[in-house]
Amino acid sequence: MKRSRILAGATAASLALGLAACSSGDDGGGGGDGEDVTLGFYTDKAAWEPSFDAMNEVSGTQGSTLDFTGYSDATAYDSFIKQSFRTKKVPDLFTWHTGSQLADLVDQGLVAETTDLWTQAEADGLVPEGLKDNYTYDGKQYCVPLNVAYWAVYYNKKVFADHGIEVPTTFDEMMAAAKKLKDAGVTPFHQMNIIFEFAWFQALLAGDAPDVYQGLQTGDASYLDPKVVEVMDQWKSMIDDGYYNDPGITTDPQTMLKNGDVAMAYFGTFLTGQLTDVGAKSGEDYGIFPMPSMDSASGNQMVLETGPLCVGKGSEHEQQALDYSAWWMSDEAQNAWSSSRGDVSFNPHVKVEDPELQGLVDQVKDGGFTTQQRYLEANPLPVYTLSTEIFGDFVTNAPDPKPGLQRLQDEADKYWADQG
Amino acid sequence: MTATAAPPRSPAGTTSPVRRPRAPYRWSARGFALPAVLIVALLLYLPFVWTSYLSLTEYNGLGDPELVGLAKYQEMLTDAGFLNSLRNTLFWVVGTLVLPVGLGLLIAVLAYGLKGSFWYRLPFLLPYAISGVAVGVIWTFVLQTGGALDEALGVLGVTDPPRWLLDAPLNTLVMIAAATWQGAGVNALLFTIGLQSIPKEPLEAARLDGASGWTMFRTMTWPMLTPLTTVVVGLSIVGSLKQFDIIWAMTKGGPGVSSETLALTMYKDTFVENDYGLGAAVAVFLTVITVAASVLYLRRQLSGARES
Repeated sequence: MKRSRILAGATAASLALGLAACSSGDDGGGGGDGEDVTLGFYTDKAAWEPSFDAMNEVSGTQGSTLDFTGYSDATAYDSFIKQSFRTKKVPDLFTWHTGSQLADLVDQGLVAETTDLWTQAEADGLVPEGLKDNYTYDGKQYCVPLNVAYWAVYYNKKVFADHGIEVPTTFDEMMAAAKKLKDAGVTPFHQMNIIFEFAWFQALLAGDAPDVYQGLQTGDASYLDPKVVEVMDQWKSMIDDGYYNDPGITTDPQTMLKNGDVAMAYFGTFLTGQLTDVGAKSGEDYGIFPMPSMDSASGNQMVLETGPLCVGKGSEHEQQALDYSAWWMSDEAQNAWSSSRGDVSFNPHVKVEDPELQGLVDQVKDGGFTTQQRYLEANPLPVYTLSTEIFGDFVTNAPDPKPGLQRLQDEADKYWADQG
Repeated sequence: MTATAAPPRSPAGTTSPVRRPRAPYRWSARGFALPAVLIVALLLYLPFVWTSYLSLTEYNGLGDPELVGLAKYQEMLTDAGFLNSLRNTLFWVVGTLVLPVGLGLLIAVLAYGLKGSFWYRLPFLLPYAISGVAVGVIWTFVLQTGGALDEALGVLGVTDPPRWLLDAPLNTLVMIAAATWQGAGVNALLFTIGLQSIPKEPLEAARLDGASGWTMFRTMTWPMLTPLTTVVVGLSIVGSLKQFDIIWAMTKGGPGVSSETLALTMYKDTFVENDYGLGAAVAVFLTVITVAASVLYLRRQLSGARES
């Protein structure tokens, strides 16, 4: 009997502990309504912690600082954010993705609206034209841009000089340079079969048929369009001719470009930071030029990638987080951010210290470029996910592109049919 | 207190000499088991029920799941990628039975009885202490294009080596080799324990009858190792069906989906594609075949052992 009693007591204690754990709600922490507030901030950009720390020194004067939690695994991070919305601990501020991933959060009413912030920022000239489209759902805006990156061609200056190659301004010039480099035993272009396997599809199609590139994002164009086939054939011929590195090489693109293992790499301007990390100097070791359009009649095209900074609706410091978001777009914040990251800012008032990047920004501003969204965020998630398989295989084996395009179109048809 | 139940009967119909415990004792025994049962129910059965429910829904991780019947199973079974994953998973099951188990047995038998056999086994055992991801990273250095293996082959005059991690099914086969490097040692250890537990007398008798070498192994050692072999093979089947970490570290299932297994498909569908319903359907399928394979195999082996 004694043992039974002990056991009953232990079971009751165990249940009580379980119930206590289940019912635990607010941890009693948080900043309250005081003047200075610490905002819970979550991001999948763990490596950027020093830059966010630097921002705290500037934003501290405004009364808000970020309590940084960084994830280095994007998938684990996405899962964490989604789960956090099922708890009482909604993040004050967090980074996310544009496109259908943001649409999902908006549909569920999980992110705070930022329409007023955008209206003010546009009135103050803090954001370029067109950027708002990435953040607009049913005519309202959600989140603000954390950062932007232009997609352009990085080239190794020494390799270009050694082979007497000028910076190309047309697609034909770029292909002539590629042939010259290949003949001299240098791999002209970098590409990879994971993460950015879509890059050259994006570069070629946006420059050959921008209307088709945009049409794919809305279901108005087909992957079987003759222009898409033309682009795939061009890409295949470049792979077959040995214009790209072997995708089995897992060396970082920045290292390959710095070492001259490849002469050119088409990347977002975030590559600048990675090149700096491996000791390459902008303007000395490498330069940047806009990707020339495959069909010059299509005009200059520039792919712009942007990542959102979002406020969790109903979070503990929702209003302060919105105030921080407004401040984030200001000249003060963006000067500090650009300086800390060594990267371009979306704010047109901000000058980048790096002359190559500033040169690119100036060209985009003055060269009549049309801005395009990056393929990854611009397309429906199921289609993009299938594209990682199709393009990953294409980069690796350069098969006949038609079956892959057919599969992509089937997936797109299914997606748009489900959308009604 | 007249609740003395009739003693249980054994399968052969003979009366068991063991008296059934008294009721208060049975209750306290159940009480002792309760916390463990609760934990298993809470951490194993409840998530499985929840996963089974999710497999019948359309759900992206936000909001509420929406019931769609068996649509996700239909989608799964008609997906070319799923069939490819199933094929790769079968490769893994067969491959890990042949290589880590076969090699483990070979190492154990060859080293058994030798002076200092521990030192022969040790190098094979060390990789077991490394995590699967670390094994994947090490082997990526070896097998990537221009990696250590290509360099070594280059020295030997092979200028155009195979694309180890890029071409299917070669990429799956070399990853099985990596898993073998990690897993053969522990299998060898288990088989060694099995060899040590074999009674000496029958072997001695067989030796006196003139048996030796392969005949001795085939007719005496191998049959007497059966209980241990059952455990090793059972563990190997379950381990290979849920293989994830080495593949994730080496190819992430690529290029494309060429080296994906069911465990990777489940993860990608759920967390990369945000299709929780489809991921749950793959999870249920994987669980069912893992449990079915284990039960069928163990039942067959154990009933065989009873008969013998």
